[in-house]
Amino acid sequence: MPDSLLTNTSYLSAAQNSELPSTALHYLDTALSYIQKIPGSSIVIRYIKTSHQNDPVRTVIELFLFIFAVRYLLAPTYSTKKTKNVSLSEEEIEELVEDWTPEPLVSDVTEFERVENERRPVIVGPAGPKVKLLNGRTVTNLASYNHYNFANNPDLTQKAVNTVRTYGVGPCSPPGFYGTQDVHMKSEADIASHVGLPAAIIYAQSFSTISSVIPAFMKRGDIIVADKAVNYPIRKGLQISRSQVRWYEHNDMDDLERVLQRLVKEGQGKQLTRRFIVTEGLFECVGDMVDLPRIVELKMKYKFRILLDETWSYGVLGRSGRGVTEHQNVDPTNVDMIIGGLAGALASGGGFCASTEEIVEHQRLSAASYTFSAALPAFLATTASETVSMLQEQPNIIQSLRENIKTMWTMLDPRSDWVRCTSSQDNPVMLLVLKDQHVEERALSTADQDSLLQDCVDEALANGVLITRLKGMPSPLGVAPRDLQKEWQPRPALKVCVTNALSRKETERAGTVIRHAITTVMRGKKWQRQS
Amino acid sequence: MRRTSPSAGQPAEVILENPTVVQNAERKMSFPANVTAGKEKVKGSRRRRSSSLMYQEPPESLEQQSDQAVLPNLNAQWVNAKGAWLIHIICILLLKILYDIIPSISQETSWTLVNTTYMFATYLMFHYVRGIPFEFNAGAYDNLNMWEQIDNEDQYTPAKKFLLAVPICLFLVSTHYTRYDLVLFVVNLLATAAVVVPKLPALHRMRFSFFNPDLEHSESDHR
Repeated sequence: MPDSLLTNTSYLSAAQNSELPSTALHYLDTALSYIQKIPGSSIVIRYIKTSHQNDPVRTVIELFLFIFAVRYLLAPTYSTKKTKNVSLSEEEIEELVEDWTPEPLVSDVTEFERVENERRPVIVGPAGPKVKLLNGRTVTNLASYNHYNFANNPDLTQKAVNTVRTYGVGPCSPPGFYGTQDVHMKSEADIASHVGLPAAIIYAQSFSTISSVIPAFMKRGDIIVADKAVNYPIRKGLQISRSQVRWYEHNDMDDLERVLQRLVKEGQGKQLTRRFIVTEGLFECVGDMVDLPRIVELKMKYKFRILLDETWSYGVLGRSGRGVTEHQNVDPTNVDMIIGGLAGALASGGGFCASTEEIVEHQRLSAASYTFSAALPAFLATTASETVSMLQEQPNIIQSLRENIKTMWTMLDPRSDWVRCTSSQDNPVMLLVLKDQHVEERALSTADQDSLLQDCVDEALANGVLITRLKGMPSPLGVAPRDLQKEWQPRPALKVCVTNALSRKETERAGTVIRHAITTVMRGKKWQRQS
Repeated sequence: MRRTSPSAGQPAEVILENPTVVQNAERKMSFPANVTAGKEKVKGSRRRRSSSLMYQEPPESLEQQSDQAVLPNLNAQWVNAKGAWLIHIICILLLKILYDIIPSISQETSWTLVNTTYMFATYLMFHYVRGIPFEFNAGAYDNLNMWEQIDNEDQYTPAKKFLLAVPICLFLVSTHYTRYDLVLFVVNLLATAAVVVPKLPALHRMRFSFFNPDLEHSESDHR
């Protein structure tokens, strides 16, 4: 710019000619001739000459822009982020370092955990309906999700062994590299056709299935409406997705409708975001069943998508184990995504998400646990294929499980004075909670109920029946205990997992033992009302 | 469990005086946060008074900042890459050739078209579109346009200086070759102003209320 300014003035001064002393004129002329020697200077001079054109306003604008650009180019870089670094002296740093006591990586064992660990039963040998404990006793096992006793099926075992001989134990790679084998693709096709949807994708872990499906489709600004009682993996998924989460009262369809109505009203005139309803088929923490026809109706009415977690209902509900959709006669294509578990009743491992082809393909690159963790071992994929076809071919095994659930139900729920079953009558995982009147009467806190029920578990085990408790959800980090009380937590409950490997008689006997164990504990001195 | 977002509809000053609301904001963070961070979050909630014409995009919450820091911003870092500067010049030349080969277009129109096309394209890319077109950090940059994402929001960085110098130079050149026709000059000037003004450091994170719908309820409510 200085060059062009100079030439500009020299040009002007040359025109005016007389005013300047001759020496100055001479300097200007020499300067001009030097400038003309610079390559390209003629373009600049011509540009300046032509740009003025008797329009001072335009020249001023151009000049201003040019000066602005130069000033911008010369300005020093600075950060807009506020840095809150406090400068500390060496002594202060030393002092702070000495004051600091690190939190333990693992917190100390609480008294309750210590007692629980001491009494924890250890099974020796394979799991089944009757298991041998470390202390040599054989007990009835009602604490594993081995509902159809596929775990002890010799055919399945043999096929798994054959697969291991052909494919090795693990695929040693994520599905995206070379972890996908023909058996995985076959299992995906088998499961998709069983559920009744166009496509399915298999995940290697049941827990991380839904917690990576949710963030694969939802991000900041998206809206999720979730049931208050959803299980821990779903909560993790909601948290990772960073979406806006609205909760509705557990299985309260009117409340759901109210929440949806409000969201639709709030969303009017705003940019459209993805909107999902997230719920479970059979609730892990409560045991009851979702009202799917009503949710589908609401979804259609308010234009939401449904993400249904069938981890506990797939393979259990419906005539051939297709899950809630079959049980409640809902067309599965009305549910946008069905997530199921293969680790429970199907005696395999991992989970799946069944949906349309586009939704499934999207997950192959954007679902974290599919992309970043090793594929399902081949023998688990073949086992899943086998058990899925067994459920379809032999619906009588599902029928016999239902019979056993009914038997167990009649032994516990109507007959016990102390507990009631919150599970659905078709749920093989029976959750028994203490009746409200006893909890109130004896003023039992949640921790009290937990240890009371642990006593029931121990008492039942002493009488030869192995059951377990529903474990509470870990509390989110950094949440004050006072706020924690407002968080939804499952009620302490006994967990009785019914299996069709036991005969009706054996189931009845086990049910009686459990009932009597509860009665013994409740009548015992330890848990009488503290006055 | 459904929480009312901290007193929706109230101005921020009232919120700060209400200790329980500050508590709420703290609790909403999914990792341990000290009190100052909690207050900051309340101050920084995406809310404004409807009367003001312009407002500043508030700083992101701690959680959002940590999400931004997880990976380098693949959407903005390429402006510092080799060839990213040269491609501007090449694109301008290609545009010029493209408009020149269209018959019956004069040099004046051709230069004006080159100028306006370049300004429109860069406005769209740097100032209109917000967020990141690819999905890798759960929308942590959804509130910022690309200009604001470049160089981690620093001002006067080499890339930003270059990106500001190019439209100004293009404008000076194109006004020259349009032979100072007044109408074309005004068109070119307005097009240039449209991309130069939003690049000013003073307008960093500034938004016009008119173009942005009400943000009252867009605050995310986790868990």
